[in-house]
Amino acid sequence: MDVSGKSFKAFLEREEALKNQYNTKNAQKQHAKGKLTAHERINLLFDKNTFEEIDAFVTPASQPVEFGRIERTYGDGVIAGHGKINGRLVFAYAQDFTVMGGSLGLVHSKKITKIQEMALKMGAPIIGMMDSGGARIQEGVASLSGYASIFHNIIQSSGIIPQISVIMGPAAGGAVYSPALTDFVFMVNHTSYMFVTGPNVVKEVLNEEVTSDELGGAEIHARKSGVAHMIYDDEENTILALKKFLAYLPSNNVENPPVVTDDVTCSDINEKLRDIVPDDPNKAYDVKDVINLVADKNSFFETSELFGASLVTGFARMKGKTVGIVANQPKVLAGVLDIDSSTKGARFIRFCDAFNIPIITFEDVPGFLPGMDQEHSGIIRHGAKLLFAYSEANVPKITVILRKAYGGAFIVMNSKFLGGDFSFAWPTAEIAVMGPDGAVAILYRNELAASDNPLELKKELVKKYRDKIANPFIADESGYIDEVIDPAVTRKKLLSALNALSNKWVKVPSRKHGNMPL
Amino acid sequence: MLIANRGEIAVRIMKTAHEMNIETVAIQTATEPNAMYLSSADIIFDNTEDVSEIPVFLDIEKLIAIAQKSGANAVHPGYGFLAENAYFAQKCIDNKIIFIGPSPDAIYKMGNKTIARKIALASGIPMAMGSEGNISDEEEAVKIAEKIGYPVIIKAASGGGGRGMRIVRKSEEMEKMFIIASKEAEKAFNDPSVFIEKYIENPKHIEFQILGDTKGNVIHLGERECSIQRKHQKLLEEAPSSALDKALRDKMGNTAIEIAKAVNYHSAGTVEFLLDSEKNFYFMEMNTRIQVEHPVTEAITNIDLIEQQIRIANGEELLLKQKDIKLKGWAIECRINAEDVQSGFAPDPGKIMMMNMPAGANIRVDTGVREGSAIVASFDSMIAKLIVSGKDRKDAIKNCKLSLDKVWIKGTKTTLPFFRMLMRHQKFQDGTFTTAFIEKDLDKFYLNSEYEEMLAAWLATKLFIEENLSDDSINIDFEHGKEMSPWLLNKRLNQF
Repeated sequence: MDVSGKSFKAFLEREEALKNQYNTKNAQKQHAKGKLTAHERINLLFDKNTFEEIDAFVTPASQPVEFGRIERTYGDGVIAGHGKINGRLVFAYAQDFTVMGGSLGLVHSKKITKIQEMALKMGAPIIGMMDSGGARIQEGVASLSGYASIFHNIIQSSGIIPQISVIMGPAAGGAVYSPALTDFVFMVNHTSYMFVTGPNVVKEVLNEEVTSDELGGAEIHARKSGVAHMIYDDEENTILALKKFLAYLPSNNVENPPVVTDDVTCSDINEKLRDIVPDDPNKAYDVKDVINLVADKNSFFETSELFGASLVTGFARMKGKTVGIVANQPKVLAGVLDIDSSTKGARFIRFCDAFNIPIITFEDVPGFLPGMDQEHSGIIRHGAKLLFAYSEANVPKITVILRKAYGGAFIVMNSKFLGGDFSFAWPTAEIAVMGPDGAVAILYRNELAASDNPLELKKELVKKYRDKIANPFIADESGYIDEVIDPAVTRKKLLSALNALSNKWVKVPSRKHGNMPL
Repeated sequence: MLIANRGEIAVRIMKTAHEMNIETVAIQTATEPNAMYLSSADIIFDNTEDVSEIPVFLDIEKLIAIAQKSGANAVHPGYGFLAENAYFAQKCIDNKIIFIGPSPDAIYKMGNKTIARKIALASGIPMAMGSEGNISDEEEAVKIAEKIGYPVIIKAASGGGGRGMRIVRKSEEMEKMFIIASKEAEKAFNDPSVFIEKYIENPKHIEFQILGDTKGNVIHLGERECSIQRKHQKLLEEAPSSALDKALRDKMGNTAIEIAKAVNYHSAGTVEFLLDSEKNFYFMEMNTRIQVEHPVTEAITNIDLIEQQIRIANGEELLLKQKDIKLKGWAIECRINAEDVQSGFAPDPGKIMMMNMPAGANIRVDTGVREGSAIVASFDSMIAKLIVSGKDRKDAIKNCKLSLDKVWIKGTKTTLPFFRMLMRHQKFQDGTFTTAFIEKDLDKFYLNSEYEEMLAAWLATKLFIEENLSDDSINIDFEHGKEMSPWLLNKRLNQF
């Protein structure tokens, strides 16, 4: 080919024009806000020189121009393509705020749906990096239907390929449902917002003054609403964490999760585990200490850390293989199950189930959180989600009862007859219908009322109850749990259980889908 | 003998009791059921079922009941709150239990500062001038302050530990400070009454250890200097003091004896003085118990104070005479606490993961914790007392410096960096420091060793490299996920 010919020259000119579009002036505007450009984000995310962009030269759909001019730009405000992350094929799109505020028009949405469809066909994960002003007003209903087709594609792919959203700027109005539908949402502190109606509308309708950060900042969504699963202080750390996170997940629901092949210098027997649960049953401890000693060194990646913190969820590795961890956190509200922790746990379990990730449960739960607020907000409905998710999951499910396992909460937390494959208990376990204080107050109501010294009698009865009933040995001897184990050998027991369950298959009754109590 | 206390002092008391063939009872609590002091006891009283809000060591009725149940006929209160509680001492006597400490009457008189001042005044003991009793309002306070001259200090009558204390430098401040002090006193001690004293600026804190028996013999065992304190909490004590010569020692010692005799004092006690730069001394208060810093006196006198307390409580006559007391060498005690020096000595409770204390002929370590023990927030933050002696002050400082470098504690932050700095401080070395030392003479509370910044930079670099490597160094095998047994793969595919 004649590289000095006319057509080649036109080709080079176009290349040059695209490069100019990502000029330093626009980049500086982003940098001034503490943000990166879409290009920089893509470059950080993908292995060097592996990203292949598609539709780089598409231009916005032509529209009537009464409402302002649409800039003639290449790409229509989004970069889409595929590349390798840690050597694996991943699809991604990144909205470009420097081009028409990253607003979503018809062509923009078509680029995204194209990538989504490719990811689904190829069975590869897809990542969306959002930084957009929302629907492009000038394009009207075309832009709205663009959103609809994106949502539809996410729902079609749900449970087949991992879909992850990273919010790196504003996401307002209908746009928020795109991340909300995906499996995990990452947010960047102070530079990203999500809300259905923004501060201006709140001011107009309710006459309340709120900042974007107060209304829908990363911190709010991570702590209060539970919309964001992981938040970081800057974009670089967010992307690094995302890369780390991806390595836990399989590419699709047919594969098993990837395996870390490094030598794991973690001993299978660890006597430190004996010292974590305090002798006093009323004392708290950090269940993450247990997780960190049982799982491969430094392998625990917590999800939704700040939301529903009385339940810890996250991914870890056991001899290099991904497992999902669900654990009651005695450090927060004594590890009680409330609405937030139940829904958080349920969603995490369903993700693990969809993507063939075995679930390990560490149980120390005093029960469900009592009170008007919880009951009236539907703890019954939300608690049922956790129950439904545990029972429905057919990946390997193993429970280790560390201490309290009382009543309904015991049933919910992956009990054996809810389909749990293995149930282990530490000698500190207390398995019973309710805690000693409550049980004694009911069983010996009359005796206590008649006693001259009810306090002393109660103390005695509580001790008796604890010795006779609230221990793991009765459940062990009657087969409701599999084995009472020395805490030191927990990792060893879990590894052999996981090994035994590695080919687990349960036939799911044929149906459209179950009717989870949403 | 029931030990009505925990931690290092319980260990300390039981050591002497063991040497004297006295059976000891220690109390096991739910807060620290595996505490080290329990292993020193002959009998452990299990009180772990008791989860009441009030710690057992503060509950008089419960302690008496435990003594009776365990068959103890004596109680040693250590240096806890109840050691200076006249009601507790009386309650012991009423129940035919020997209280190892002074009489309830002496505790009461010396515990109430207004009464103590009256007694001292009556005996002609030098004191900082002040109100003769409690003062009722700020007008009276201003009147008295003008008589004795500013600055003055307002103190809680039932106080201690620096609470309810306010320094007033001019009359305009009086109203505000009076109200604050009185309110603080009420909150802390349930008694809003306060009195006024002349405030002595930049004094040294000198205290005399005394011993008295029930026959009326009283001797003193020399002084301790406790000027290194922060907000009236002692951090380091030494014996003797570089500020005293023999004449002053005799004079102050005799004054201490006089005070003790004025209340018919028996057992071990401590008379505290302030010493100004002109070597005038003023009586402050008397502590009617064994003190945390008693080991420095033991180190230079070679007398076991706990043994003396027990013998005196047993009615024995004091065999030691004043002329037998010879002070030999110098001793320094460092209180190694679980505190974060860099954030203003804030308590830093936690688990002691590793602990290595030095040993040697001139080193004594009193501790109630070992590796694996927890420093719990509900008790004090003491980890250990390191007592180091030498033939003179210079030698003691040198030895102390060396010993401090051998202490190694992992798990909580400690006051060690403070002591390492202190040993190298010019003003500490030449002995010219006062109680204002920490507030005025220090701009930094911890030692920066010469290579610290370089070390920090190296560590940061190492961490940075490790972090970077760890992200990239994970070897992920994505192909492995595709290898599956035909059993699973077929079934999985058929399902879809």
